[in-house]
Amino acid sequence: MSDRLLLTAMSCATPAGFGLEATTAGLAAKTKPCSIKNYEFHSFDEEVPAYLIPQSWDAATVLGKSGLRTKDRSTKLLLSTIETGLKGIFSDRAPEKKPGLSIGTAFGSVQSIGDFLSDSIVSGVNAVNPVLFANTVINSPVGNANIRYEIKSLSATSSGTFNAGLDAMIYAADHIRSGHHDAILAGGLEEVSYYTTLGFKRSGLLSKAASSRPFASDADGVICGEGCALFLIETAKSAADAGRSAIAYISGYAQTFDPNSGVRGFNPDAEAATVAVNQALAMAGLTASDISFVASGASGNPASDAIEATVISSIFGNVPVAAYKAQFGESYGAAPALAVAAAIIDAKRGFITGTGSDYKVSGNVNLVKADTAVNAKHVLVTSFSCDGNCAALILSMAD
Amino acid sequence: MEKKRIVVTGIGLITPIGTGEKAFWAAAIASENGVRPIQSIDVSDYKTKTGGEVLDFNSSDWFTAEESSSMGRSSQFAVAATRMALADAGISDGTIDPWRVAVSMGTTMGEPQILDESVRKKYTGGSEESIPADLPRQYPCGVIPANISRMLGFKGPSVILPAACAAGNYAIGYAMDLIRLGRADVVIAGGSDPFSSIAFTGFNRLLATTKDVCRPFDKERNGMAVSEGAGILIIESLEHALARKARIRAELLGYGIACDAFHMTTPAEDGCGGILASRKALDHAGVSPDSIDYVCAHGTGTPANDKSEAVIAKTVFGDRGTKIPMSSIKSMLGHTMGAASAIEAAACILMLENDTVLPTINYENPDPLCDIDCVPNKARSMKLQTVMSNAYAFAGNTSAIILSKFKGE
Repeated sequence: MSDRLLLTAMSCATPAGFGLEATTAGLAAKTKPCSIKNYEFHSFDEEVPAYLIPQSWDAATVLGKSGLRTKDRSTKLLLSTIETGLKGIFSDRAPEKKPGLSIGTAFGSVQSIGDFLSDSIVSGVNAVNPVLFANTVINSPVGNANIRYEIKSLSATSSGTFNAGLDAMIYAADHIRSGHHDAILAGGLEEVSYYTTLGFKRSGLLSKAASSRPFASDADGVICGEGCALFLIETAKSAADAGRSAIAYISGYAQTFDPNSGVRGFNPDAEAATVAVNQALAMAGLTASDISFVASGASGNPASDAIEATVISSIFGNVPVAAYKAQFGESYGAAPALAVAAAIIDAKRGFITGTGSDYKVSGNVNLVKADTAVNAKHVLVTSFSCDGNCAALILSMAD
Repeated sequence: MEKKRIVVTGIGLITPIGTGEKAFWAAAIASENGVRPIQSIDVSDYKTKTGGEVLDFNSSDWFTAEESSSMGRSSQFAVAATRMALADAGISDGTIDPWRVAVSMGTTMGEPQILDESVRKKYTGGSEESIPADLPRQYPCGVIPANISRMLGFKGPSVILPAACAAGNYAIGYAMDLIRLGRADVVIAGGSDPFSSIAFTGFNRLLATTKDVCRPFDKERNGMAVSEGAGILIIESLEHALARKARIRAELLGYGIACDAFHMTTPAEDGCGGILASRKALDHAGVSPDSIDYVCAHGTGTPANDKSEAVIAKTVFGDRGTKIPMSSIKSMLGHTMGAASAIEAAACILMLENDTVLPTINYENPDPLCDIDCVPNKARSMKLQTVMSNAYAFAGNTSAIILSKFKGE
């Protein structure tokens, strides 16, 4: 990729911690899920495990109380993540020239949508608060960010199910490479909601053992998680003009689709996922041996973990494999963006975060269980979604 | 980046005034009103009782029972419209490389009926068991492009840009980029949205819905009509289209997207985002405002939108802003949400082919705040070469695309 783009600023809010520093500390300390029964005005029939943003996060403290009353959790999470470490990137340009926004989310604020519906059913259609209707559109969090930071250049949301965070970063890269703009804040966002958690529970995808153990031979499902991770992607000129330097570069990426996945789960032949990884390598001008480690999308769902294992082992052999969902849970559209954040944190600190527990691994993957030293040059981030979407992105670390 | 020329070779349409381009065009040219009493939900508690529903779409005409049960109405619209568009483009199984075909879709509500049904069951005496096990697989709007890729066997990128009511234009614009960047040869691009009780309730509560029919730019306009549908375009590089001897229906010259950054549900009075999107589109297309022969308006029929759109036209086109033909086909279809701008793009292609602009129907009373030529009530024959289609949305999303007749190689 001759016109590789710089990644010059980042922020994140994860179950490991609110903010980059807290997430770094949380990864080292190994995050554990909490248990929820009463959640966002709803009650589950029984305790459900979840990876939530730590309670130290208070949106009103980060953002100020004004205007927050009608904003939903997704919007508060996005705004808080921008406010913590990124709002400065919008300060030196006119509104139409400011870095644009490209955010990925699988479900949007499904909590807002479900609650708007339930309110209309319980209280009547003429009793619902009309202001809350705006929260039901999937692009609502991004629109709220555009308004708060007066960004007129771009407002984009991607919603490619579990790949949405990578889709949004790739959309940003494509938008810049096409010459439409020179800088875009991109990443993934997802909230834990009552409705998606129930859906996962009903579908049997939640771990009955209440543990998130990617690639485990006896893994029995996922734990729902949430988070937001954002990255400023820009051209070399844009970065130089702003006095920013590269944290990493986007060297290659690809998206493919497996028509044989979807309705009945994953297609075990993993052809589309393999092609996506090979296309990303080709775009980056790299070979498999150049990849220092893989930030996998493995979650503890045996079917999807098997795809990851097949692809990684067939292309990379014994490369170290990180599985950040052991720390973050399954945060759907946010997940691959959280993986990008964690991979950068790990590459910078020189350690790959291990899963934190020892267990028998299914598939021929070199899963990192205990934190392991690494001198990372190039990192591959993978995300293979149950709907058939496959995405791969290669980061090259700045010297 | 090499600026490959981009063309449209197929159209698929599902709308309240007709399914398929022939039915659509016949109804549109006849100024048919697709906003009628709503049948799919109980509207007795609502002030508004009309909307635009697709009444001639039968799932069994397109899908087996098993296929239907695996997809929501939005996906069904999208897949059916894609099949129409592929047939129109002369693309059948095995004729193109599936790895080089991408899908780029837009939507506002995604697949709301799946959540709607389950929440309704739960809050009318149900329990946790009312939330369906298929919800994680069938609800996220990403399933719409995924269902197209899966049902048609395509293996390239499959993405969705849920930019609310500007989503179709976003998806069409991204199709251009995917091809010019070399990431695909053919892109199935468009938008799809089903009739949604969430949208109907929300717009009712915002007092944004018309009591009867949609009358954009009219002084007595009193709101939009919630509607449903899908529009699909087959977009490919000129080189690819010529190589397979495809019929080229139009050329896609450029697009622009921007944002008002003003209010979640109200457009900026000064039209800043719309002006910016139009100017970006003109710049991307490499054409001047004077070369635009017609504007397909967003034209929802709400007082705020239409007034803002007149400001945008007069700012972008200067003195021509009050004279350039600029109609709203939402007067006939209602507002098909994320499908709207994709349907309007297809309508623009039909207008280019027929040298005829479609009308704004239900127009009776001129509004000095909307002092544009809205092509009132009857279609108009006129020479067309290049047209612009605008779409705006909740959250201040704004967009414009520019299409032209194909002038040859």
